[in-house]
Amino acid sequence: MNDHAATSLGQGQMATRPIVMPASLRKLIRLLLGLAIAAVIWEGAVRLFGIRPYYLPRLSTILMAIAATPRAYVDGFLRTLAETLIGFAAGGAFGVLIGIAFFRMRALREMVFPIFVVSQTIPVIAFGALVVLWFGNTLLAKAIIAFYLTFFPVTVNTLLGLETVDSKQVALMRSFGASNRQLLLRLQLPTALPQIFVALRLAASLSLVGAIVGEWFGDTTGLGVLLLQAMFTENVVAIWAALLAAALLGTGFYAVVAAVERRLVFWNAEQ
Amino acid sequence: MMSRRHAFSVLSVLALATGSLIAAAPASAEPQKASLRLKWLPQAQFAGFYVAQAKGYYKAEGIDLTINPGGPNLLTENLVATGADTFGLSGGTDSVFAARDKGLPIVCIGVSHQVTPFIFVTRKDGPVKTLQDFKGKTVTTWFTGANHVLNGMLAKEGIKPDELKIQPQQVSVTPFVDGSVDVVTATYYNEFYTIQSRMPKDSLKTFVAEDYGITFPRDTLIVAEATAKEKPELVKAFLRASLKGWKDAFADPKGAVDTVMAAAPTLDRAQQEFMLTEVKRLMTAGAAAKNGSFWIDADAVKTAHDFFLKYGVISKPLDLAAAYDASFIQSVPLADRLP
Repeated sequence: MNDHAATSLGQGQMATRPIVMPASLRKLIRLLLGLAIAAVIWEGAVRLFGIRPYYLPRLSTILMAIAATPRAYVDGFLRTLAETLIGFAAGGAFGVLIGIAFFRMRALREMVFPIFVVSQTIPVIAFGALVVLWFGNTLLAKAIIAFYLTFFPVTVNTLLGLETVDSKQVALMRSFGASNRQLLLRLQLPTALPQIFVALRLAASLSLVGAIVGEWFGDTTGLGVLLLQAMFTENVVAIWAALLAAALLGTGFYAVVAAVERRLVFWNAEQ
Repeated sequence: MMSRRHAFSVLSVLALATGSLIAAAPASAEPQKASLRLKWLPQAQFAGFYVAQAKGYYKAEGIDLTINPGGPNLLTENLVATGADTFGLSGGTDSVFAARDKGLPIVCIGVSHQVTPFIFVTRKDGPVKTLQDFKGKTVTTWFTGANHVLNGMLAKEGIKPDELKIQPQQVSVTPFVDGSVDVVTATYYNEFYTIQSRMPKDSLKTFVAEDYGITFPRDTLIVAEATAKEKPELVKAFLRASLKGWKDAFADPKGAVDTVMAAAPTLDRAQQEFMLTEVKRLMTAGAAAKNGSFWIDADAVKTAHDFFLKYGVISKPLDLAAAYDASFIQSVPLADRLP
């Protein structure tokens, strides 16, 4: 009875008001479906072909390992997230500001830019050892390494973006008496924004790599620590568990940056 | 007269007692900040230090100790020499020699592993039966000390390193398990466990440095020269507390592994229990059996030194008395050093 009533009510709703699924929900469902299929293929292939666990463990084994010590993964995730966010925010802001300064002040650019280029040739492994010597096993030290990997592409792309501004448009705004500040905020920065976001999306991944690698220098918590520990005890299940957590953090962060980009650079959204 | 004299002696005994009480209970004073940089990530290899920390033994000695993990790109000798860390558990006699050779002002105050912790592993049914069979085969090793052990063993047998293919060993022992490498380097407590978990133990054959008359003691406790000179009491107190921690770890291995896993929860418990058993064996072998943990075996140090000098690993003879100071470990009563 109840079943029948529920069904007929459902049908009635369908008939009068067709349910329109929001695009974002549809996207999410498709994403989850894709992940589920990938998970089934992973689990099935390992079982079917009898792949030795030290080549590729079952997905279920990895998930159970995470479930056995959830605190370790949650703590590691949060710590690495904090390092990544600080490094990314500082690196992004510094990159944009210094990019603008380079655009405005040619002398500064010629003095400082070569130093930036040289700084980027130092392998992060060598730089990391120094940062730990100077700042110890602190969150700041890891954020500095994330910053170090982040700011350069943002600086370069900000400068590049600002330089693409059409000189005719500048002349037009000047003829209306626009100040330097108005010129920057109304014309130059919006023009550069798509370029800046290309760098920020790149920096999202780089800052995570920086945070993880930074943790390889004697840190006590973080996904990098879990990863390193698993690698050097050849605990393949734990390696995958740490990688899954890092992938979740990386894609999540990238998605957030991309969502902000769609908001701010709406005119470019079709691309 | 007698009573006054008596009273005086009672007073002086009291004064002495109070004095020694103050000396024995520095915890009442401001605890001294110090750090211990390990040679590697938290694992049962360092159980004693974690146990001493967890049970408050450092605090009881008036030390506010931070244990800093090591890692693949950190040089403990540098961190201790520059003062970034107070104490260090560094690579081994080989890395102490190398640091002193470079002029780094560090002093070894104790040796953890009394015998060579590395072995070279091959398949029992494979082509390598003796060290002579290493010729023409592929051997992987770490170029962070284990290569010296290998070269030393080969030299004793009159084999030149270019007679075999020596390749840098990556993290994984999989190439050996899969058969693409003939001989692999392992520590007793880590890689050997991994290999044994993937192939039957009795299918393996090991080559041990001691069988060729050489020993490379490893896992050396170091301090900066300045610390040894200016704060000998801190060094002694650190050793007392650490030895107490190790004693407890050996007495209650399961509890010790619990303590280590509180610092690193994703470790594999079975592997950590195996590790502690092996580490105990390495720490209580040789001269330590009689003299206790962290004993500095002057003969073993001298032999290793002469070996490195002969093969040009160090450029000049070192002042071993300055590089290895056994006075600190000797200050701990023998009963407290023995496990």
